[in-house]
Amino acid sequence: MNSLNSSAPQFDRRQLLKWGSQGLVATAVAQLLQQDSPAQSPGFLPRARRAIQISLVGGMSHVDSFDYKPELARNHGKSLQTKETPDIFFGKVGLLRKHDWDFHQRGNSGLWISEMFPQIATMADELTLLRSMVSDSANHTPALFFLNSGFGANGFPSTGSWISYGLGNESESLPTFVVLPDGRGGPNGGASNWSSAFLPAQHQGVVFAGGDRPVRDLFPARPLPSGADAAVRTFLAALNQRNRDNKEQDSLLAARIRSYELAASMQVSVPEASDLSSEPKHLQSLYGLDNPRTADCGSRCLLGRRLLERGVRFVQVYSGGPIAGSPRASWDAHESVRSNHGLEASRIDQPVAALLKDLKQRGMLDDTLVLFTTEFGRTPFAQSAANAVGPGRDHNRYGFSGWLAGAGVKRGFSYGSTDDVGWKAVENPMPWHDFHATLLHLFGIDHTRLTYYHNGIQRRLTNVHGEVHTGILS
Amino acid sequence: MFFDRPIRLALAGLFPLLVTTGWADDNIFDKTVAPLLAAHCLECHAGPNPKGGLDLSTLQGATRGGKTGPAVTPGNLKQSLLWSRIVKGEMPPKAPLVGTARNTIRRWIMTGARWGSDPIDRFRFTSPSRAGYNWWSLQPLNDAHPPAVKHAAWIRSDLDRFILDRLERAGLAPAPPASPRALIRRLTIDLTGLPPDPATVAKFIADPSEAAYTTLVDSLLASPHYGQRWGRHWLDVVRFGESNGFERNAPRTTFWHYRDWVIDALNQDMPYDEFARLQVSGDLTLPGTRGAAAAGFLVAGVHNTVVGGSKRMKLLARQDELEELVGTVGQTFLGLTINCARCHDHKFDPIPTIEYYRMISALDGVAHGEREITQPQAAAQQASLQQQITQAQKHLRLIETRARRAVLATRKTKPTPPGERDRPRPIANWDFDIDLRDSIGSLHGRAIGGAKLENGALVVNGQGAYVQTERLKLPLIEKTLEAWVILDNLQQRGGGAISVQTPGGLIFDAIVFGEREPQRWMAGSNGFVRTKSFSGPGEEQATSRAVHLAITYKADGTITGYRDGQPYGKPYKTGFQRYAAGQAELIFGLRHAPAGGNKFLAARILKASLYNKALSSAAVAASAGRESGFVSEKKLLAAMSPLERKQRRKLKSDLLALEARNRELAKTARTKIYTVAPRQPGAMRVHVRGSVTDYGETVRPGGISAVPGLAADFKISADAPDRPRREQLAKWITAKTNALFVRVIVNRVWHYHFGQGLVTTPSDFGFNGGYPSHPGLLEWLAARLQDDKYRLKALHRRIVLSSVYRQSSRLNPKALERDAENRLLWRFSPRRVEAEVLRDAILSVSGQLNTKRGGPGFVDVSIIPNNGTTYYEPIDKEDPALNRRTVYRFSPRGGRSAVLDTFDCPDPSSAAPRRGVTTTPLQALSLLNNAFVLRMADHAARRIQKKAGPGADAQIHYAWQLAIQRSPDPREVQLSLTLVKKYGLSSLCRALFNTNDFIIIE
Repeated sequence: MNSLNSSAPQFDRRQLLKWGSQGLVATAVAQLLQQDSPAQSPGFLPRARRAIQISLVGGMSHVDSFDYKPELARNHGKSLQTKETPDIFFGKVGLLRKHDWDFHQRGNSGLWISEMFPQIATMADELTLLRSMVSDSANHTPALFFLNSGFGANGFPSTGSWISYGLGNESESLPTFVVLPDGRGGPNGGASNWSSAFLPAQHQGVVFAGGDRPVRDLFPARPLPSGADAAVRTFLAALNQRNRDNKEQDSLLAARIRSYELAASMQVSVPEASDLSSEPKHLQSLYGLDNPRTADCGSRCLLGRRLLERGVRFVQVYSGGPIAGSPRASWDAHESVRSNHGLEASRIDQPVAALLKDLKQRGMLDDTLVLFTTEFGRTPFAQSAANAVGPGRDHNRYGFSGWLAGAGVKRGFSYGSTDDVGWKAVENPMPWHDFHATLLHLFGIDHTRLTYYHNGIQRRLTNVHGEVHTGILS
Repeated sequence: MFFDRPIRLALAGLFPLLVTTGWADDNIFDKTVAPLLAAHCLECHAGPNPKGGLDLSTLQGATRGGKTGPAVTPGNLKQSLLWSRIVKGEMPPKAPLVGTARNTIRRWIMTGARWGSDPIDRFRFTSPSRAGYNWWSLQPLNDAHPPAVKHAAWIRSDLDRFILDRLERAGLAPAPPASPRALIRRLTIDLTGLPPDPATVAKFIADPSEAAYTTLVDSLLASPHYGQRWGRHWLDVVRFGESNGFERNAPRTTFWHYRDWVIDALNQDMPYDEFARLQVSGDLTLPGTRGAAAAGFLVAGVHNTVVGGSKRMKLLARQDELEELVGTVGQTFLGLTINCARCHDHKFDPIPTIEYYRMISALDGVAHGEREITQPQAAAQQASLQQQITQAQKHLRLIETRARRAVLATRKTKPTPPGERDRPRPIANWDFDIDLRDSIGSLHGRAIGGAKLENGALVVNGQGAYVQTERLKLPLIEKTLEAWVILDNLQQRGGGAISVQTPGGLIFDAIVFGEREPQRWMAGSNGFVRTKSFSGPGEEQATSRAVHLAITYKADGTITGYRDGQPYGKPYKTGFQRYAAGQAELIFGLRHAPAGGNKFLAARILKASLYNKALSSAAVAASAGRESGFVSEKKLLAAMSPLERKQRRKLKSDLLALEARNRELAKTARTKIYTVAPRQPGAMRVHVRGSVTDYGETVRPGGISAVPGLAADFKISADAPDRPRREQLAKWITAKTNALFVRVIVNRVWHYHFGQGLVTTPSDFGFNGGYPSHPGLLEWLAARLQDDKYRLKALHRRIVLSSVYRQSSRLNPKALERDAENRLLWRFSPRRVEAEVLRDAILSVSGQLNTKRGGPGFVDVSIIPNNGTTYYEPIDKEDPALNRRTVYRFSPRGGRSAVLDTFDCPDPSSAAPRRGVTTTPLQALSLLNNAFVLRMADHAARRIQKKAGPGADAQIHYAWQLAIQRSPDPREVQLSLTLVKKYGLSSLCRALFNTNDFIIIE
C-alpha cells in the first residue's frame, strides 16, 4: 500500500485535499481511505444522508406520552407485584399511577399518543414509535453518556462524531456535527456529551450559539482596521506559495494551505446558515418563533433544518438543561409529572412537529432521519411512600420510549413493547447499542466495521454489542 | 484508523514474526494440534460452560464430546464430529479451517489422536487470532548486537547502526543532516517545549560543532522547562484531569500536587523504576506529601460521585472504577489492555479473567479522595516550636502580670466611682488575664485558630482566631452582653466581639462591628432577624483606647446598645430569642459559627461579661465605670525593672520570629492533596461475565502470569491489607526482569522524539498493537536504560545525539514511495507542534511567558456550578497570572479552551498515549482570530519595537528571528514591509504566528 504514495504529486491538490479521518490530508492515504470507507460497507444501502436528534434530558415518562397502558390505569393505586428490588434512583416504590394525559388513536395508523404532545401526534403517520428501549443505567449522566456514546463514562466519541468520522463532510465550509443546547443551559456532563474523545478533533460537536458569531473565533475577537484581515491572508498565501514552490510537496504543508482557504469560506457560510430572519414569516410562526414558550426550541429546530439543508451531517437539539435544582429545567419529574412534563412538552411539541412538517414538505424526510430520544423512562409506580400514589415518578431504565421518523424507517408504525404496566420491555428490547447499530445501518454503515484504534482496542460506537433491528426498516 | 491493521500486517511481512520457539516438550500434539484447537476452537469450546456442552481443551472432553456426540474418535474420521463439522465448513463458524491446518487435524485423528498437555492452555501459543505466552513483547530482554553497516561514516553511535542497517537493506539512504537552524529549533522544542531565543540560535549557527551541540543538549536537559515539557507527555498517558467527570464534575483543587511531582521527578532525573513504584504505592511507602502526590496517578481518572441509591449501582460503579484503574496501570507501565479481561478472557492477549480479578484485588485498596497529609518532619518541628512558643508566652505573661498587678494595686486605693453600689452581678465573667477561665461560673473558654493572651487581653487576629466556651447549663432568656474592646483597625467589617450562639451557630446574638454599616456597632443576629440599625455614631476611638460595649435584650424584644456606659443610638423592638438549657455557648472574636468569611474580629478584648437579665441603663453605666483592667503600655513599662523590660523586649521579638516560623511550617506540615483515600480492601471474587450479582471463586492479589519477571502470585492472602498488595504490585511491575516494563518506556520516549514510536501503539504491546520497526534497537535501548539505572535523561541523550535524530526532514520521493510512514526513518518527519507548544511559543515570543513554577494551576475557565452540575466555560482576559506555561493550566474534564482543543489537546477524560494530529479550518480560524492570539501579537509588536529600534527593516528582521528563528529573504522582506506599513507590526506578528515555519517542526 505504501507504494501508492508515489502517485500523490500527480493529483490535483484540490481533489486530493479531502476531509480524511485526520482532517485535511493530501497523500494517497486519503485515496485509500475513500476506497476503504466504512460508509461503503458491502450490502448496506445507505438510506439516510443526515440526521437531527431531539434529545430530551432528564427522562421522559413513556407511560404518559407514547406507551399507552390501559392495565396501568386499571391498577391505579395498587402495588407493583414484584419480588425484586427495582434498580431506580431514589429507591422509593410507591403505588402504581395511571397516565396523567389521555391517550387517543392518531392518524390513519391509529398509533396511541397522549395529549402531552398534541402537535407531534398529528404527524403520527410519519413516526416509528420505539416502545421497548432499555438502558444500562438509571443514573442521569451515565445514562446520557450511554445514549450519546454507547459507554457510561466520559471519554468516548459521541454518535455524531462517529457519523462524522464515518461519512465525512458534505459541506466543506460547515462542521459535520453541530450541537444546539437548551437555552437554559447545557445538559449534565456538558461538552463531554458531544466530545469526539479519541477520534480526531474535527469530529467534535460544534456548538452554534445565537448572535452574529455563531461559532467561536469565526471572526477576529476585536475589530481590526478594515483590510487588515485580508492583508494577513494575502501575506500568508504568498508565503505558502513560496513554500510550495521551494519544497517538494509535503502533505502537511498542503493541508495547512487548504485549511486557510476553507476557513475563509466558513466565515461566509456559517453566518448565512444561522440567519433565521431570511425564513418566510409563516415558517417562523410554524416553528413557534413568535411565542416565548416555544421560541427557544423552535429557533433551534429551524436552524437545525437549515444546517441539514446545507450539508451538516448530524444535528443534536437538546431539550432540558442541568439536571438537579428547583424548579427543574429538564424532564426529571420526581416531584410531579403533570406539572413538569406539561411545561417541558409545551416548549417542544410545536417546534418538533413543525420540523417534521417542514422536512416532509421539502422532500427532505426521504433521506433525513429525525430521532426523538431520552436517556431513560419513568416508573409506572409513583415515587412516594409504599402506600401512596404520589405525583412524581422515578427513573426507569428497564423500558421506555422514543421515536424515529424519515429516511429508511417505517411510517405510522410501533415497534416493541413493555409489559402490561410499562415497567419492563418485553418484546424486542432495544438497548442503546442496538439503537446505534440500527442508526449506523440506516446511514449505510456496518457498525462492526466503523472502528478506531485507541489504546489497544479497536473501538466502536457499539462496543462489543449491537444488533440491527431490521423490523423498523421500511 | 482503518489503515492501521493493513500496515501492521504489511510490516509483519516486512519483519520476521517475532515469535520464539523451542519448547522443551517435543510432543507433536502440543506443537501442532493444540495451537490449532486453541486458536480456532477453544474460544467457545472450553471453560465451565462450553458451547454445545463440548469441551475441546481436555482429552476426556474431546472423546466424550458434546450434546451431538463424540468429537474425536481415535483413528476414525467418520466417528469424529470434529472432523465432519470441519469438512462441511460449519466449524469454526466464521473462518473455516483449510489447507495444512485441516490436514494436521485429519492426520492427528487418523494416527490415533494422541493427546499432549491436558488441559490445553489456550494462551500458550500465538496464533493468527491471538497472542500467546510466546508473544514477542512478553519475552525476556534479548540485548541485541549492533549490526554492521556499509556507510559507517554516518554512524555516531551504535543506535545509528540499527537504523542504517534497515535502510541499507531496504535500499535507502538517510537524509542529509539538518541545518543548524532547523536542528536547534527541533531540539529546543523537543526537550523544553519552547522555541530557542534568537541569540542562542545565532550562536549555534556560528558554531554548530559537535561540542556546541552536546553542550546545548546538556543545558536543555538541565533546564526546568525539560520537566514541564516531558511531564506534559506523561500527564497525557495517565489521563491527568482536575475534575471528577460524570454528572457533578466537581473541580479537584488540590490535585496539582501530582502534576508538580511528575515535573519535579523528571527534572531530578528520578530513575524510571522508582518513578513507577512511587506512583503505584508512594502514599504507603514514602511518608509526607511527596508520596501522597505520586500516588495521584491511581486516582487521576474520572470518578463518579453520583452512583445512585441501589446496591447494584454502587457495586457496578466500584467495578467500573477498578476497571478504569487496572486499565490505566496496565497500559501505562506494561502496554497491556488488562481491562479487556473483565467479562471474559482477553480476546487477543494471554490474560485470563481470573488474573484480571487478581490484579484488581491488588488495587482494591485504592479509592478517590482528598487527604490532609502531615509532613512528619515539619510536624515534629512544629510541635517543638509550639512548646517554645508556649514557654515564651508563659514567661512574658509572668512579667506583665506582675507589672499590671502593681499598677492596678495603686488604682484600688482610689475612691469608688459613683454608682458602684448599683454594679450588677454577671453570671459569667472573663478577665483574659492569665487564662481563658470564667471567673464566676464554669463557662471556661478555649483558644482556637491562634487566639492568645497578651498583656491582660485576648488577642484575636481577624483571620481565624477566636475563643469558644463551654455551654450554659441553664436556659438564657433576657440577657446582656458586655465587652471592653480595642480594635486593630476601623475599616474591618463584620467581626463579632462577644456572641451567644447555639452550638453550630445557627442562632446567635452578638456585638458586631461594621457589618452592615461601616464603623458602626450593631446587635448581630442570625439572618439579621433581630438586627436593626441603632443609628449610633461612627466609631473613631476604639483603636486608640478600650471602649466599653454592652447590648441588652429584653423579653419584649427591646434591644438597647450602649457604648462607654451611654446609650448607643436608639433602642429598637424586634423578635426575641431564648436559649434553652445546654443550648448556648459564648464565643469571642467571631460573629458566629461556622468560622470563616468576614466573621472574625481583629482586636484585643480586655474583659467580657454575660448577664442573665437586661441591665438598666444605670447598671450599664455603673459597669462601664469599672476599670477594665487595662493598663497602658507606658504605665506597664514604668512598673517594670530594667531587667524585666529587657527580658520582655527579647521575649516579644523571639515570639514574633517563632510565630512566623510556625506559620511557615503550618503551610507545609499539613497539606491537602487529592490522592488515594485509605480503604480497607476486600477479598476479591471473580465476577462471572463482569456481573455484580454472580460471583465465582475468591482470588488472591496478583499480577499477570504472561508478563516476564517475578511470579504473578504475590503470595499474600485474599484479605490482606492495602499495603502489601500495592507494594508487591509495584515490585512486580518494576522488576528488573520485567522486559515489558522497560520496553514500553523506551518506546514512549522514542515516540515523543520522533513523532512515532518504534512500536506505533505506545500503550499497547499486545496482539492489537504494532510490531517494532526495529526490534533489535528496541531491545538494545531497553538494555541500555537498565545499564543507565533507568535514568531517562541518559536515554534522551543517546537519542538526540544520534545521527538519525539529526537528519533533515527533506523529502525523498523514492523513500516516500517505499515507506510513506517513514517507519524506517529515512528522514526526520516534519510535524505540527502540539497545542501546548503553540500557546507557550506565542507567549514566549511575545515576551509574556510567566515562568512561575508549580503550585495551583492558572484557571482560564469560569467554574459555574449549576444545580449540581459544574460547567467550565473558557474565559479570556489580560492577566499575567494566566500567561504561565500550559502544563500549569487547571485542566477540568470537558473544560477545554478555544485554542487548545482545536489543536488536538486531548480532553483528560481518557488517556492519550498518542495524540491526534489534524489540520482543520477551525484551527485556522482560531489561530487568526482568537483574542489571545491578537493580544499576544500586540505584545510581540511592542517587544520588537523596543528591542529592534525604530527602523521597519530592523523590526521585520527581528520579528522573523524571534518568531521563527530565521531571517526573511528579500521577497519575504518585501511582503512583510507591505503588511507592516499599512497595518502595523502587530499584523505581521499575527501573520507569523500562522505560518508553517511557526507551527511545524522540521
